[in-house]
Amino acid sequence: MKKLFLLLFLISVGFLSCERDDICIDDITPHLIIRFYDATDTTLVKSVTQLSVKILDIESNYIVNNTTDSIALPLIPSADFTKFVLTNDTNSDTIMVNYTSEAVFVGRSCGFKSIFNDIDLQETDDGENWIQSFNIISQQIENETSAHVKIFH
Amino acid sequence: MLKYSISILILFGCFVSFSQTDNSKQQDTLIKNKYGLRVGMDIFKPVNSFINKDSKGFELVGDYRVSKKFYVATELGFQENTTEEDFINFTTNGSFIKAGADYNAYVNWLDMENAIYVGFRYGFSTFSQTLNNYTINNDPFLDDVTMAVNGQKFDALNAHWAEFVLGIKAEILNNLFLGFSISGKKMITTKEPDNFKNLYVPGFNRVFLNNSGFGFNYTLSYLIPFYKRDK
Repeated sequence: MKKLFLLLFLISVGFLSCERDDICIDDITPHLIIRFYDATDTTLVKSVTQLSVKILDIESNYIVNNTTDSIALPLIPSADFTKFVLTNDTNSDTIMVNYTSEAVFVGRSCGFKSIFNDIDLQETDDGENWIQSFNIISQQIENETSAHVKIFH
Repeated sequence: MLKYSISILILFGCFVSFSQTDNSKQQDTLIKNKYGLRVGMDIFKPVNSFINKDSKGFELVGDYRVSKKFYVATELGFQENTTEEDFINFTTNGSFIKAGADYNAYVNWLDMENAIYVGFRYGFSTFSQTLNNYTINNDPFLDDVTMAVNGQKFDALNAHWAEFVLGIKAEILNNLFLGFSISGKKMITTKEPDNFKNLYVPGFNRVFLNNSGFGFNYTLSYLIPFYKRDK
């Protein structure tokens, strides 16, 4: 009887010491995915050379000197807009992304993510923009499976 | 030498078992078992409420002996529990009741009333969840600007589940029992809050990924004997 008590006690201590049974593996807040296209032939994907991206009001650059044809940018869920400064090898352009964010529960370990609705884009005209035009493909950012915005340059 | 010692042990084992059967044959007619209502409480929950500020709970336990081996059993209580995770912090508050039966698989000596039992319970709980605060899980680059948000309260939630119990009870003084049990639980249905989940349920404890749970009880209970019946 005493031995059994001890055994059950040890088992229960084992349960107590059980820690996390899950780590966050689900998708969290999706990024805004931008794909770059040629301004003259709009079907052609065109890389931006030495692209740097800075999120306004944050000191360090999010992307530094990366030659790429697509980027994924994080949006600030607690605000209804995020401003980005996109710099290529010659010029800097500022774009402002407007949205309404919505908190969606994911799970115990991931907590809540945010999805973004009513996506709108504005470009600050500084006289010599390298971004010539853009096209919003998706009004809603729910996942990262395809591009949400096309930028022509 | 080892070979001999084992042989001697087996020899003794035979002697012991023989003497036992002889004894019980002689006294069979004299031994009576107590039948009655056993009531008590969980002694871990109040202690834990005292040392752990995130948990407050109380639980009453009771069983009634219906036959030589079977008892109908119940537990009821309330539990308030705050769970802290990486991105969420929430408080669960509610009460629960469990009902079922225990089967005592232990064969007692003489008129002893100890038990090693297996049991089954049906559990039900009504509760509320309060989301104290949460942080949107976003790109770690935005840590500085992703703020914690104050959440809301979800009322009138409930849960139904099944439990398998394994436990022991020992009579430490006349009619006074000390017990310990562990239980494995499986959720049947829950009323979930909108855009949140019942990650903790009173009586069920933490709800694991596959809707299962674990629990344990330390109980102190007193038997109110109603009558005696032959063993």
